[in-house]
Amino acid sequence: MSLLLILALGAMTYGSRAAALVLMPPPPGWLRGILERIPAPLFAGLAVLPLVSADGTLRASTPILAAFVASLLSVPFRSLLLTLAAGLIGYAVGGILGR
Amino acid sequence: MRQSLVAALPVALAIAVFGTIYGATAVPLVGAGPAVLASLIIFSGSLQFALASLLVTAAPLSAILITAVTLNLRHLLLGAALRPRLPGSPLRRAALAWFMIDESAGLALATRADASLILLVTGVLAYVSWTLGTWIGTLGAALTELRGISEAVFPVLFVGLAAISANRGHLLVRAGAAAAIALALALLWPPWRGVAPAIAALLVALPPHRGGPE
Repeated sequence: MSLLLILALGAMTYGSRAAALVLMPPPPGWLRGILERIPAPLFAGLAVLPLVSADGTLRASTPILAAFVASLLSVPFRSLLLTLAAGLIGYAVGGILGR
Repeated sequence: MRQSLVAALPVALAIAVFGTIYGATAVPLVGAGPAVLASLIIFSGSLQFALASLLVTAAPLSAILITAVTLNLRHLLLGAALRPRLPGSPLRRAALAWFMIDESAGLALATRADASLILLVTGVLAYVSWTLGTWIGTLGAALTELRGISEAVFPVLFVGLAAISANRGHLLVRAGAAAAIALALALLWPPWRGVAPAIAALLVALPPHRGGPE
């Protein structure tokens, strides 16, 4: 991996972050409504992505599924710390059950 | 400030673990120096892990660049959603853009306080923990157990970010629908799984809310 490639990927990544924050004007009202509805679904989509491997099969190990389910149970509390704790407890329980 | 730190610390801890895994994964492929340099300059876990897997398969440069564009598309969505919450000069927003990763953007969007401060505090902590984690990983930390935990931590972390971002009932429903769509897309269309969350989010965000104010 050359320095040039690292610099190019860094520039692309920063460019994508800065494009919307710096270059785009504040969105009009109708678009703002749509944009406000995007983050939660986007994070939910990102949450399930690690459960699928690159060849399109489910990665269904018991500890990971248990961590996922436990984190879902904590959703009504809307606390990141609680969700992480629930996930780690689920992971530990899943590890015991999976033995 | 204290509130921002409390919110950011669990995220930074999870990112440090993931950084350690990345460092250990990247060392045999590219060496310790380039691995740490990549974390310092690229600062994107998803892209750096994808890059490592592409290097393993000796993928061509075009595949690496297409992957980078695909994975970075979601920054446009997050940035556009954050833009109205970040007042100030273009220079200030350009500086904050460096720290706009999924996790910092999620916390900034969920807060009712100063989104700029949350973005900055979470972003700085994430940057330090990602780079430090990478460096520790290159030193050869014992990883067998960490790898398993890291595979579980990121789905859990994003469930948490979705939960705090869904501050209305209809957003929770949309989030559930997006998860189902992203899962289906990733299973049916593996080469493009990187864009599945963005496509799913756009699809479920388009229908207007019909049940009173947003």
